[in-house]
Amino acid sequence: MNTKSSIRCAVLVVLVSFLPIQVMAAKGPMEELRPTLSMLTSVLADPELKGDERKVERRAKIMASIKQGFNFTEMCQRILGSTWHDISPQQRIQFTELMTKLLENVYIGKLENYSGQTIGYVNERIKGERAQVSTLVEDNGLEIPVHYIMALENEKWMVYDINIEGVSLVRNYMQQFKSILRTEKFEGLVKVLEEKNRSFETGTN
Amino acid sequence: MKFLKMCILCGVISAGMLLPSVALSEDKYGVGGDDYIVENGAPDLLGDESEWENEKEPAGIYDPLEPLNRAFFEFNDKLYFWVLKPVKQGYTYVVPEDIRVSVGNFFYNLAAPVNLTNTLLQGRFEDSGVVFKRFVINSTLGIFGFGDVAAVDFDLKPERGDFGETLGVYGIGEGIYLCWPLFGPSNVRDSVGIVGDMQLHPYSYLEFDSAAQSFARGSEFINRLSITPDVYEDIKKISLDPYVATRQAYIDYRRNLILSHE
Repeated sequence: MNTKSSIRCAVLVVLVSFLPIQVMAAKGPMEELRPTLSMLTSVLADPELKGDERKVERRAKIMASIKQGFNFTEMCQRILGSTWHDISPQQRIQFTELMTKLLENVYIGKLENYSGQTIGYVNERIKGERAQVSTLVEDNGLEIPVHYIMALENEKWMVYDINIEGVSLVRNYMQQFKSILRTEKFEGLVKVLEEKNRSFETGTN
Repeated sequence: MKFLKMCILCGVISAGMLLPSVALSEDKYGVGGDDYIVENGAPDLLGDESEWENEKEPAGIYDPLEPLNRAFFEFNDKLYFWVLKPVKQGYTYVVPEDIRVSVGNFFYNLAAPVNLTNTLLQGRFEDSGVVFKRFVINSTLGIFGFGDVAAVDFDLKPERGDFGETLGVYGIGEGIYLCWPLFGPSNVRDSVGIVGDMQLHPYSYLEFDSAAQSFARGSEFINRLSITPDVYEDIKKISLDPYVATRQAYIDYRRNLILSHE
């Protein structure tokens, strides 16, 4: 072997050893979360989007920025647990749509109360294909720890659960649905979800 | 041969582009590998993936009294909407916010023996120091605890400790889930804790009679309702089964609290 080919060999070895790193996520979970949340807060703080007459446009923009960084399908799959495997692909889509709508109904009003609270990024933790980004939301001198749980989806870190002081969104809904699923099966759950979403539209909630 | 040269050239260029990013991740993550933490301090909420796979909860909630608990939950719901909420609204209307906050400070300061004893028992000596300093500063400079000078001028933020938590830190199990009328979500351990904390509270050694104690605790409760967000109404609004949602949230919150103090 002459020097030229041994250099080539060395270069190849170096290249091959770098490959797996390139395949892994392009950005870290915190790096991925930051732009999503800053986009969301800038929409929420935008004075031009305030007021009832801009409601539809504002809510569409809020949802669009959330969907950039949140994986609702993953969230729904985890909320349903084993039932997810028992239902058809159409039912999965139906459930995901209903659940996304419910979360939108439930949390968008809360988000609209946003009044310039700052988000501090504490740290990130990675376990295989899942990650946790811990933040502190400062509200009126009170610091509330909010943790975002993420999973790798097509080489991009996407949020599928939010954990505030130990209370997980996914686990909470999962437990609520468990008892409904036990007695009323998937069809019953769909009915309950539809009813709940309707109550937001008619303003009874 | 030319092909090989081209390959190597491309390789060198792309390797050059990769290098900075590799260096960056080294900087950021310290060590490579699949599992890493940038900075310690936050609890590990990721658990084990297998937990999700077979849907086995780390530990479930044992609720054999569910029918009874649900009945009391319904009772508390009515109590909230028919009694507590109107009282709270009237109180909020009559008493200005800064006074309500001061009253809240006073009641918190009064409970200092409870917080001090429990933080000590849990071995949270730094927090005990904060509780003690806050009590001394706020009882004097804060005038009987109505002002929170300690937080404003000394940057001493309130710390809390309760006996249910202390028992949990000592490894005592939570027992069955209970939803008490009036007191709401709890479990056997935390119920014992509430009784223990009552013994530690100044009311018990100031020899308040039971009517005076109930009045004092009632006032404290209404005042607290008036200065904290409507958690109950929120839970009711966002959930499909408020009973299960409350139960899960209570237990998860308490477990997390105990875990962070162990």
